Amino acid sequence: MSNVLKIKKGVEQGANELLKFLLESEKVKGIFTLRKMNENGAVSYSLITHPKELQNAVPLFPLMPVNAGKILSGFTLKKAINEPIAAVLRSCELRAFIELIKRTQGSLENFLLISSTCGGVYPLKSLTDGTYKEQVSQYWESAKNAEISSDIRPTCAACEYFIPQQADMTIAIVGKNDLQQECSIFLNTKKGEEFTIGAPGNIVSEDIDTKETAKLREKRQEQKKKLFDELEKNGSGIKALVKTFAACLSCHGCSKACPICYCTLCDFDSKTHEYLPSSHEIELEQKGGIRLPPGTIFFHIGRMIHMVVSCVNCGMCSDVCPVNIPVSTIFSKVGDSLQKLFDYLPGKDIEEPVPFGTYKEEEFTEIGE
Amino acid sequence: MNDEYTPKIIGFLCNWCAYTGADLAGVSRIQITPSLRIIRVMCSGRIDPLFVLKGLLKGADGVMMMGCHPGDCHYQKGNYSARRRYVLLQKLFEDLGFESERIGLWWVSASEGPRYAKVSSEFSEEIKKLGPNPVREEIFI
Amino acid sequence: MTATQIDSNKMPTKGAIVSAEEGINKTIVDIFKKSLEKKCFDAILIPVRVPETEAYAWVLLKDQSLLDEANPLPPIISVQGAKALRSLTKRGKMTQNIAAILRPCEIRAAVELSKLKQIHLDNISLISIDCPGAMPLSDYLADPEKSKKIYKNVLEKWGENNSVRPVCHICNRFSLPSLLPRKSEETSPVEQDEANLPSIDLHIGLLGGNQEKIFLIPVNPKGRKILEELELKSDDSLDIWQTKVSEVQDKKEKIRKEFNLELKEKIEGQEKLTAMFNECINCHNCMRVCPICYCQQCFFDSGALTLSPETYLSRSEKKGALRFPLDTMLFHLGRMSHMVLSCVSCGVCEDACPMSIPVAQIFSLVADQTQKSFDYAPGINKEEPLPLQDFLEDEFHEVETPKEVN
Repeated sequence: MSNVLKIKKGVEQGANELLKFLLESEKVKGIFTLRKMNENGAVSYSLITHPKELQNAVPLFPLMPVNAGKILSGFTLKKAINEPIAAVLRSCELRAFIELIKRTQGSLENFLLISSTCGGVYPLKSLTDGTYKEQVSQYWESAKNAEISSDIRPTCAACEYFIPQQADMTIAIVGKNDLQQECSIFLNTKKGEEFTIGAPGNIVSEDIDTKETAKLREKRQEQKKKLFDELEKNGSGIKALVKTFAACLSCHGCSKACPICYCTLCDFDSKTHEYLPSSHEIELEQKGGIRLPPGTIFFHIGRMIHMVVSCVNCGMCSDVCPVNIPVSTIFSKVGDSLQKLFDYLPGKDIEEPVPFGTYKEEEFTEIGE
Repeated sequence: MNDEYTPKIIGFLCNWCAYTGADLAGVSRIQITPSLRIIRVMCSGRIDPLFVLKGLLKGADGVMMMGCHPGDCHYQKGNYSARRRYVLLQKLFEDLGFESERIGLWWVSASEGPRYAKVSSEFSEEIKKLGPNPVREEIFI
Repeated sequence: MTATQIDSNKMPTKGAIVSAEEGINKTIVDIFKKSLEKKCFDAILIPVRVPETEAYAWVLLKDQSLLDEANPLPPIISVQGAKALRSLTKRGKMTQNIAAILRPCEIRAAVELSKLKQIHLDNISLISIDCPGAMPLSDYLADPEKSKKIYKNVLEKWGENNSVRPVCHICNRFSLPSLLPRKSEETSPVEQDEANLPSIDLHIGLLGGNQEKIFLIPVNPKGRKILEELELKSDDSLDIWQTKVSEVQDKKEKIRKEFNLELKEKIEGQEKLTAMFNECINCHNCMRVCPICYCQQCFFDSGALTLSPETYLSRSEKKGALRFPLDTMLFHLGRMSHMVLSCVSCGVCEDACPMSIPVAQIFSLVADQTQKSFDYAPGINKEEPLPLQDFLEDEFHEVETPKEVN
């Protein structure tokens, strides 16, 4: 049994009402959520402190211009916030934030975390080519029916962790067939309950319906398998990697967009990976030809080694790639495998240490003998 | 073709155990495979997974990581980290179809000269069977 | 004085006309194969198609067989050529002789970077080529076959086709004249010669050849030596090429002027300019692919701009809302103020933008105007210091005098 705040408005409007209440009642000093930037669908995360600006808030808009976990980490990098702020973010963004906090890159203190059962987001390209306008109309229909919306990010279509774990409140979307009439907000924690005292709507006790979400999870797992199997079409091994990353410009956009990649100066941008001409000349002699800039595959696999145990499959990397390399699919596949190996789910439990940088004395005892 | 090729294997040996063990093997005049080129590190925990990756991408046919037995690390816990990193690397290479058999981790103590010779020659044989690292032919990496 | 005015003493009038019966690409590639055989160079830096894909990557090669898939003018610019050169020679000089075949904007970026100590040009023979422009990267990726066909057309109908990127369509620096040192009125003729050596050895002319022949134009004694070693006579007249170049040049100047006037209106003023960047997600791709942006760690990525939560809250309270990531305009205008004097209008920034913001067009417009006010043309004179690296005691007095207040 859970306490649920029910607002008799469509889910998008209901969410706005909740945020309005939180800000106007001064229970929170600010709201961190998506805001419309223009009429073409451009949205940006914003810290809203004036209720008037909430008119442009679109908390559940199916677009992720940046991973909010990355933003919140930057927000609380120097120190924790000292006033309560409500933050609306998706499951993967919240998981990313928690992974970053495990690495001392932020703090959860004073955040009221509001999330939703996530129907996925559209790739940024759909904004630039205008197709999101047609697509977004069927988004809510698919979400209602616990189906995968077509044309969302491939990693979203394959995501089975769409139910947020660490949120104070969860807005029900997936499988909720009265989406257009009612907004249900599950109050998961004491904090969630405290902050909604006096909120518009009724608070009822309800069982969490897992039937619809289980349906979607199954579909997504199938899609995940399909997505990973598609990667095989390039073959495997170094030849496949070379083909996949053939067009790579070494712009490192994937790394910069990734919420887990938080290093101010990435190892692969540092002098460690800058070589003397003699190094190149030697390789040139050995091979007859060298690709410049060097280290394309090395960068991707190296980055994988550094962060993939915490990969939350948000898909930002693929979105910002100028040459459409399916980075998120590859990292998602390897991340899935490695996370299973260490029995680790990124962002699930803030107390659980990251498996890279920790160890157990009694594990993998067959290794090394 | 395979008979002609002598594998080039890089070995990262920890100073206190593995390297000393290798030294002992040498002093005891035990036959050691010529394929292995040793790089001494102070602790197997110093072995950055990127060393292993870089070695393979530069064309090494195999990379060996060697350190103290668990519990015997000169710095207490370095080898535990090495073990996890090796497990991660192996699975990662497996998932990418990257011939994860080309890397390995062995515990070799300072007194285990014969063991050092044994694991290196066994590994060298495995690598020989695998053939030269296909990365050597790749220009566009 | 514009970037395109050249010292007529330096403009070569004679070169080698080579028949291009087997196609321009093959002809050029064969010449470079020969240059490796004849040991004119130890290695060549040229774009090569990655096997089994439609992608192009820069390859420094000795192995002639790699030249089979080489293309000096691919339909797209993947990595800016100057960036590729920098990854090779940032930390020191090459000991072997290499030839690098680059588009004019890449040559200029390379020369700028050498002024900034990011490229050591020793032992590198820069070879430029007439460039009709490049296709937008996203168009090429969407349909490589179609783009290749369009690009063939672009090479034939130079300057008339606007299927190339906007900055390429308006580019007036596509050939040799824009790479030659400019006449400087302040220096005496002798000083001119020593300080104003061209940075390129050879130029490959395509205009006026009608797809049937190409022009190998030596720009200095080294260039002439290369042609000698290739057993080519360099005393053919370049008149047809020069005429066509001037013709296209005039056309482009007009197109550029009109386009920039229109663009200026679209972005003028804080409101319009900010609206242009409404969709910016602050990924900084534009900065990272830019050849001129060489800082190991960009100021705008550093901790300098990370503030405390209280500051963010109070900033938000000033206007009611604060957009994240922060400081979009600070980044773009800041980056502009850092590099626009060296901007060569290569356009890789616009190709890399995931939100299709016309970054290159905007930066190129500002570059034209700011470079003009310093009478500076990036990437031409190796010895010419960057405007902000230098000063004269007696200049810009007009900014010192306060304006008359009515």
